[in-house]
Amino acid sequence: MSTSDENAPLEKVAETKGKIPLVALAGAPNSGKTTLFNRLTGLRQKVANYPGVTVEKHIGELRSNGQVVADLVDLPGIHGFSARTLDEKITKDVLEGHVEGIRKPDAIVMVTDSTRLESQLMLVEQILELNLPTLLVLNMSDELQERGGSVNAEALAERLGIRVVWTNGRTGEGTEKIMAYISEIKSGNSTSATVSGRLKRSTHPKKLPVLERFSERKKAVKEVVSEAKFVPPEPSATSGYLDSLVLHRIWGPIIFFTVVLFVFQSIFTWAAPLMDGIELLIETSGVWLSRVLPDTWLKSLLVNGIWAGVGSVVVFLPQILILFLFIGILEDSGYMARAAVIADRLMYRIGLQGKAFLPLLSGYACAVPAILSARTIEDDRDRLATIFVTPFMTCSARLPVYVLLIAAFIPNEPFLGTFLNQRAGVLILLYALGIVAAIMTAFILKRTLLKAEPSAFIMELPPYRLPSLQTLGLRLLDRSRIFLLRVGKIIFSVTIILWILTQFPRTEFGPPDIEESALGQIGHIIEPAIEPLGFDWRIGIGLITSLAAREVIVGTLGTIYGIETADEESLDLQSALQESLSFPAAIGLLVFFAFALQCMATVATVRRETGGWKWASFQFFYMLALGYFGALVAFNIF
Amino acid sequence: MEPGETAIKDTSNDLRLGQVQLHQEVELISIDLPDDQAEPFFERGFLPGCRICPVRSSPSGDPIVNIDGSQMAIRRETANCLCVRTLSDL
Repeated sequence: MSTSDENAPLEKVAETKGKIPLVALAGAPNSGKTTLFNRLTGLRQKVANYPGVTVEKHIGELRSNGQVVADLVDLPGIHGFSARTLDEKITKDVLEGHVEGIRKPDAIVMVTDSTRLESQLMLVEQILELNLPTLLVLNMSDELQERGGSVNAEALAERLGIRVVWTNGRTGEGTEKIMAYISEIKSGNSTSATVSGRLKRSTHPKKLPVLERFSERKKAVKEVVSEAKFVPPEPSATSGYLDSLVLHRIWGPIIFFTVVLFVFQSIFTWAAPLMDGIELLIETSGVWLSRVLPDTWLKSLLVNGIWAGVGSVVVFLPQILILFLFIGILEDSGYMARAAVIADRLMYRIGLQGKAFLPLLSGYACAVPAILSARTIEDDRDRLATIFVTPFMTCSARLPVYVLLIAAFIPNEPFLGTFLNQRAGVLILLYALGIVAAIMTAFILKRTLLKAEPSAFIMELPPYRLPSLQTLGLRLLDRSRIFLLRVGKIIFSVTIILWILTQFPRTEFGPPDIEESALGQIGHIIEPAIEPLGFDWRIGIGLITSLAAREVIVGTLGTIYGIETADEESLDLQSALQESLSFPAAIGLLVFFAFALQCMATVATVRRETGGWKWASFQFFYMLALGYFGALVAFNIF
Repeated sequence: MEPGETAIKDTSNDLRLGQVQLHQEVELISIDLPDDQAEPFFERGFLPGCRICPVRSSPSGDPIVNIDGSQMAIRRETANCLCVRTLSDL
């Protein structure tokens, strides 16, 4: 983990320091931080990546009477500063001013869930050690009151030596007080803003051994809560009741599998009409484009290259959105933490852990966001193993390939009575194949390369809460943007390269036949390697183009066989395939796609998330080898 | 090392969080994990002297405990690395 993270030199930070102050919003996960952030900034926020890593930075403008008062940065929710997770490392680096392109914050707004004040103060203690002007926000004030808890905010403020305000993120109550505090920072009225620090803190807390350091903090926290007369709230009756159901011995797993099946099912059924709509839109607009544009090479690039290529990505947006809508609801409501606990036993057996559940579930839509979501896993080896096996989950880009080949080669006949036909059976087997490969790979990895004592597993179960619509909506917006940009950029460039390869060498009549083109020649070059699998040069080209994204092979084969509107249901393409591919080779091709990492967007994401090419290339070649040998075996036994 | 000292240490190390019955509040003595694995526990308030109370168990029998008003799920194997004593032992 060394190549890309370079800390900005201090001069540079000073240089970029503008007149508008930068205020950082920090806090533990589930403290309502992001909801407050959205309330404060609304849509005036932008999301970018921190250099070298894929943790997004959310920066928003805070306005008061139409004037920009401050830039607000929403940091990832963390439990501490030990910098074990990527989120923690980023938070620490931002607050210390070590991140390129973002200056050191002028103040911190520290958001706490007041119902869990005592445990949250541990983080507050660590924040205060940074010696930046800090505002303590006691969020979820309504809940604390309802459940009979209380704290003397004035005493708390006096004891900590910082300003303390109450808020209720759900209603927006109290946000004006945060606003007022930040305005003071802006006007330079720092008397109220700085840490006057009556808190006894050891001068070199970082030099203490880890246990003593925390024990000292805990001691300070104990003093603070007793002086501020914190009365912890009664445990939430609703949460208790829901947990007795959701974590019940019998009902728990039933609810868990129902939720998983429901999410899974809806990714496909709900998304289907939307995807058809988008497909139609891209197709008709492509036809329209090709009609209005003059007949030049530019038209061919635009319509057949870029439009079709980008279209093949946009089509997956509905699935991604629906998946993230559910994941957002599950996360914000508090169920995801319970699901991770239930999944932990199963995951633990194969060498992973409960927190791998979310990435693996997301992997059924797209491996890219799934791999990003693995960054909450604290243990490095667990995280690597999770990232490594996530692309084995049958992502939606495999589906068009599966559908085409199954329709062309598997008869539509009953398989298990009328209940299941052969085509559906094969599709289920392909999904199972991915799961089996993931389990075996994780199992082997955790006993060889990533061998370690089993990691400790601890998961906080936040109280159940109603998700905020605004937060859900903004997250969806965010996810779609990341997906379109990250995946789109790669597919965009790969399609252009592929298109160029089909255009050369030029003949006197313009572009060459596909077999004579540079791409066709590459297909012929790799033909000897794939001949043992029963594939010819045409499939070879498809395999190469599908490196951009798996489903690109469908369009490529369409181009090669000279079929105009080729999609996975195209009958012409099916019969063309039946002629050039034998049945065992088709099964082999299915197996190849189940295993091989035919997705450059995923490879690029893994590279960024693991901090180098080592794991990304190992994963790529491992999955390629598995795909190759899987196809070889299938070709020879069927 | 005095023999008496060892004896006290041995008995106090007997009880692990994984063995504590539901709703029985205990006090944490030490965490038998390497520092880097113990740190998430420290951060969440699992420090010597703190009170922990198992409030329910997960479907697979892993303890879910209450600490400082927060609920934490801990894997059985991990919970067995947390040395505790019952409050009556104090």
